[in-house]
Amino acid sequence: MELFALEHKRLWRTPRVLICVALCFFYCIIYTTLISFQWTYFGSEGEDSTNLYSNHLDGYSMIRTYKARSDTYGDYWTDETLQKLVKDFQTIEPHSPLSSMYDWTVGSSALKLYEELQDPENQKYQPLIRYVDTTKLTDFYQRRADDLNVNIVMNQQNLLLTDEDVETLREMDSRIKTPWRYEWTRGWEKMLTGSLPLLSRMAPYLAIVLGFLFSGEWHNSTAPLLHTTRYGWKKLARVKVLSGFAFAVELYLLIAGGTVLLQLIYLGTDGWDMPIQMIKIHAVAPWNMLQAELYELAFAFLGVVGYAGIVMLMSALVKSNVLSLVFSLAFIYVPGLFISYLPIWLQDASQFLPMVGSPTDIFRMNFFHIFGKGIWLPWMSITIPVLLGLACVPFAILKWSRRERV
Amino acid sequence: MELSIDRLTKHFGRKIAVDCVSAALTPGVYGLLGANGAGKTTLMRMLCAILEPTSGEVRLDGKDVVTMGEAYRDVLGYLPQDFGYYPSYTAAEFLSYIAALKGIPRDAAGKKVQKLLHMLDLEAVADKKIKTFSGGMKQRVGIAQALLNDPQVLILDEPTSGLDPKERVRLRNLLSEYAGNKIVILSTHIVSDVEAIADQVFIMNAGRFIAHGTVQELAQQVRGKVWELTVPREKARLWQEDFTVANYRHEGEDVVLRIISEEAPDPAATACEPILDDAYLYHFGAKEA
Repeated sequence: MELFALEHKRLWRTPRVLICVALCFFYCIIYTTLISFQWTYFGSEGEDSTNLYSNHLDGYSMIRTYKARSDTYGDYWTDETLQKLVKDFQTIEPHSPLSSMYDWTVGSSALKLYEELQDPENQKYQPLIRYVDTTKLTDFYQRRADDLNVNIVMNQQNLLLTDEDVETLREMDSRIKTPWRYEWTRGWEKMLTGSLPLLSRMAPYLAIVLGFLFSGEWHNSTAPLLHTTRYGWKKLARVKVLSGFAFAVELYLLIAGGTVLLQLIYLGTDGWDMPIQMIKIHAVAPWNMLQAELYELAFAFLGVVGYAGIVMLMSALVKSNVLSLVFSLAFIYVPGLFISYLPIWLQDASQFLPMVGSPTDIFRMNFFHIFGKGIWLPWMSITIPVLLGLACVPFAILKWSRRERV
Repeated sequence: MELSIDRLTKHFGRKIAVDCVSAALTPGVYGLLGANGAGKTTLMRMLCAILEPTSGEVRLDGKDVVTMGEAYRDVLGYLPQDFGYYPSYTAAEFLSYIAALKGIPRDAAGKKVQKLLHMLDLEAVADKKIKTFSGGMKQRVGIAQALLNDPQVLILDEPTSGLDPKERVRLRNLLSEYAGNKIVILSTHIVSDVEAIADQVFIMNAGRFIAHGTVQELAQQVRGKVWELTVPREKARLWQEDFTVANYRHEGEDVVLRIISEEAPDPAATACEPILDDAYLYHFGAKEA
């Protein structure tokens, strides 16, 4: 334990590590979360509507205004809700600041269900929303069920879903409570499709810190010295791996914790029990926003742990810090560069690499077949990366605690 | 206690770094002399069990040091040639960290660290970062870490490099005092370092022990092969080209040359008392050494 404490302390005291943590905090918390909450994403529109940076720095108060506005449309999503929403919108002058009060996050996919709103030329609903006869906006849940069926059939053809998979998807969908609860959705949409998936941007920082864990000892010429101490072989390797994982978890807690804290400050907890279909209407997962957020946090956590294991193996395999860093970064970025040249099965497999896949797969219908059993993609996306990372650990320890041949 | 080296060999591709070296070392100070590239560091790393030999083995009291593993490392102290440290650590912190790696309990480690800092005259800079140290100070930290666990087998690779004359003398005294019933092996290419303290000296060249014995025995091996010759200054260079010259001393308009040669280089040359430097030069030649 004492050795772990010393090794862990040593890791944190390295200037490179402190700089990395500061940069990661700035990028993930300040730049992509705080600034977008207060300014670029939720700030009211500025003079140049095409430039997010011309928005006003009033995100906090605007969020409360948006919420108050959406509260006037009732708790549940019914035909009347949509009709009232569209009718109110039609009374507002085009380009009026009031028009930005309308949250079309849910509408953006729900409105596509109405043929009456489809522009035949570009399939967009926005131009027609001002002119549609709102009394025709009916049968929302039936339209959604029909549309979902069409989507499942399309996925069945494209993704080679079996009848059993289709049955599972329909079973999942049947567990969603209706009528849906309705509240302001953009905040949850920002978290679930923006901020939380961005946690994978921690990868380069992890690579810079953990990539030097073993190779750095060769770089500092300390490896021969450590190897001749009593605990310098396996025990030190185990302690190094442990402190590497501890660092990864701490960085995760700092970044994920900071993101969630900002979420609580800016968005609060309202709407935690809304179904995720309020963000993407074709989603079949019977989850509410909180469950989806927990999944995404777990996805990022297990991805971080898995990636940490892989980076530590890279670090043990080579004696050069530069090579270790290059290999660690290549592990997550190279598959993306060559993905279109890879066979389909390899393209599919690449998304199971830690920090490579996306937690937003919870909104999709993809199935994978392992030994004849159909498994919904998110369950594999959450387990395989961490298993890969943990599988690297014994090899990293073995490599460090082996006598040199050359 | 006996550390035996049995036909130890190491090849790096086609290059033979250590070639079937054998020796039996009992408590005492052993000096390993050799030019750069003679194979000293490779041999030392194999003695420390961190480099896998191509063939042969090292045994401590009959047990293979590799299979002894932790038990061997527990009695081993090692100063590598390129001693690495953590730049952001202070001397005291670095020693405490190595003490933990050596399995020394925290209380005992604290006392030991203080004692070694005092012994190596590092007390005043104990809380300063190692990256601010001079080469000699860093080397002393390296020596201190090697002594942390009171090793029974102490292996020091070029321990005097970077040390000033005063520090070298201090280190010699320290090692002489420390040796007692322990095995101390130090490699160097500075003859005077081992001459003063080594009980036995091994001269290594091209991966082999080409001579070994006490300082006196090695010196005696070149008895009758060391000569002094006084020559005019302008002719000194010619003598240096033809013979191995161990020393070159001005005396008025002339130069006194100390020449290593199987036979008298000149009828006027007089045989003189050999020292270890002469033996070293005899084996290596002035240019190679």
